[in-house]
Amino acid sequence: MRYCKEIFSGVFLVMALLLLPGQVQANGDDYIAIRKEGSGKIALVLSKPAASGGKESGWAERLDVESRSGLDFTGLFSLIPPPLNVAGPRGSSSQSINFGALNSVGAEFYAGGAVVQKSGNVVLSMEVYDTLGGRPILRKTYTGKESDLRSIAHAFCADLVELLTGRPSVFGSKVVFVSNRSGFKEIYMCDYDGHGMRQMTNTRSLALTPVLSPDGQHLAYTDYASGRPRLSILDLAGGKRRSVARSGNSIDPGWRSNAEVATTLSFQGDQEIYLVRPDGSLARRVTNSRGIDLSPSFSPDGNKMAFVSSRTSAPQIFILDLQTGQTKRLTYNGSYNTQPSWSPQGDKIAYSTMEKNGEINIFTINTDGSSLRQLTSGSRQNESPSWSPGGDMIVFTSSRQGQKKLFVMNAAGGGQRRLLQLEGEQMQPSWSLRLK
Amino acid sequence: MKHTMKGLLALLLMITAGCSSKSAVAPTDTADTYTPPAAPPAAVVSTPSGYGFDEYQTGPLGDVFYEFDSSELSADAEDQLKQNAAWMGANAAAATLVEGHCDERGTSEYNIALGERRAGNAKEYMVRLGVPAASIETMSYGEEKPFAPGHDESAWSKNRRAHFVLK
Repeated sequence: MRYCKEIFSGVFLVMALLLLPGQVQANGDDYIAIRKEGSGKIALVLSKPAASGGKESGWAERLDVESRSGLDFTGLFSLIPPPLNVAGPRGSSSQSINFGALNSVGAEFYAGGAVVQKSGNVVLSMEVYDTLGGRPILRKTYTGKESDLRSIAHAFCADLVELLTGRPSVFGSKVVFVSNRSGFKEIYMCDYDGHGMRQMTNTRSLALTPVLSPDGQHLAYTDYASGRPRLSILDLAGGKRRSVARSGNSIDPGWRSNAEVATTLSFQGDQEIYLVRPDGSLARRVTNSRGIDLSPSFSPDGNKMAFVSSRTSAPQIFILDLQTGQTKRLTYNGSYNTQPSWSPQGDKIAYSTMEKNGEINIFTINTDGSSLRQLTSGSRQNESPSWSPGGDMIVFTSSRQGQKKLFVMNAAGGGQRRLLQLEGEQMQPSWSLRLK
Repeated sequence: MKHTMKGLLALLLMITAGCSSKSAVAPTDTADTYTPPAAPPAAVVSTPSGYGFDEYQTGPLGDVFYEFDSSELSADAEDQLKQNAAWMGANAAAATLVEGHCDERGTSEYNIALGERRAGNAKEYMVRLGVPAASIETMSYGEEKPFAPGHDESAWSKNRRAHFVLK
């Protein structure tokens, strides 16, 4: 009860809600729980979907488990066990939901529904209520095959998170990374939570720095199959792989849009960053400065590019405005700053700093150079930060347990934990946007 | 001092003798594996040793080494490159691949870029000495293929190198 009072005394603001008769269409602009950074989690009661019949009950159980573990992963929710008397037998009518019971356990929101079988398909109907007003804020039906229970649950979770935060969720996103588990460094891809891992390359040499295009259609990476580092672009639908047929070396690609990927090429002598089309053809050069220019990462609108340059001696992060052609230095703290990653919200850049004692730590900084924040410390090498689709989490590599492994944390550095349990070393993770 | 003498000798031979003498400046032994000398080395050694040669480089072209986060050539490195240039001059049909390598410190992507500059600077120096650019190719492994396995300066110093491979 005390918790409940705190929540409603102004920690967050529930924006005006238009209650439409019948179907309520979810829309993040209409209803967003605005929270201060670091404030409490969203208190949610999630009821297992009602089901009649043995098969449907099994589905309901699996949907409940997948939804709970998915919502728990986001770190956004405090999942409160459903009170015994929360809903009527069908659980799908607002008249039968006991909002008094929900309020008494401190729930801000209630989600429940029912699962039925229609033409052999799984049909999940979900409703979400604001417990204070007792009004529905989401009513939606999700249909899929029995083999898709996880993605059906995640489709609901995605809608819920986007409705309550106004940001894209992790559900439906992928993480690509490098692992040496086969004896060679190859590219792998898995779901946001490490589930469903598959090997994407079999170079039997070296494959490094994978990154998915914003639409998830293409995977760009650097590989040594030809004997020297080259940019490869893999069409994930067709399976066709293209290489950039230029002399010299290619290092560390980053997508500007679905139509252009930037990478460092040295065929003109000095290392410069170029834009390349998915078919491997060269669009244009974007840097022109003696020394190392490396690791492009773009603002969401594609107009600005963060990158690493040794133009002032030791490696630092710079920002190039592609419209004006002007470059400004972003980082002044530390003498070895690399691996910039521009947040999908556009406001921050994450990067890694090598300290004098050999530790590598992850920092975030606003794109104007303000609000420098250290996210890791005292845990050996922490590197290769990459943002979640909503910008509220970061996946990274850490050697804190010895071998390099993948970790996740929230955008302020909290909740640091292993992403997947896998033998060998894992490194260079890159988080995709949410793929439709 | 010995290295400097060797370097000067190599340069002198390149300039004056048109690099016709192979055995005087560089080993004739091109075996893949290192053979330790049975006796104390003579004044002109026939098995590669010294600055550019170790268990990871047995010749005929010697490797060159770098400081941390640097691709600048030291005096020893320049001496070795002069010897390498002389050998290339005496073996006009030879072609070499120069691999840039880094120690494990720092970040992988940057180290590939740094390794490429190390290999590139070594090549550029030899080209200035008259070796045809077409006979030297460069690439970089960064920190991906270290020679020495350790995690201290004695290993790191061996791993910061431009490594010559005959093609």
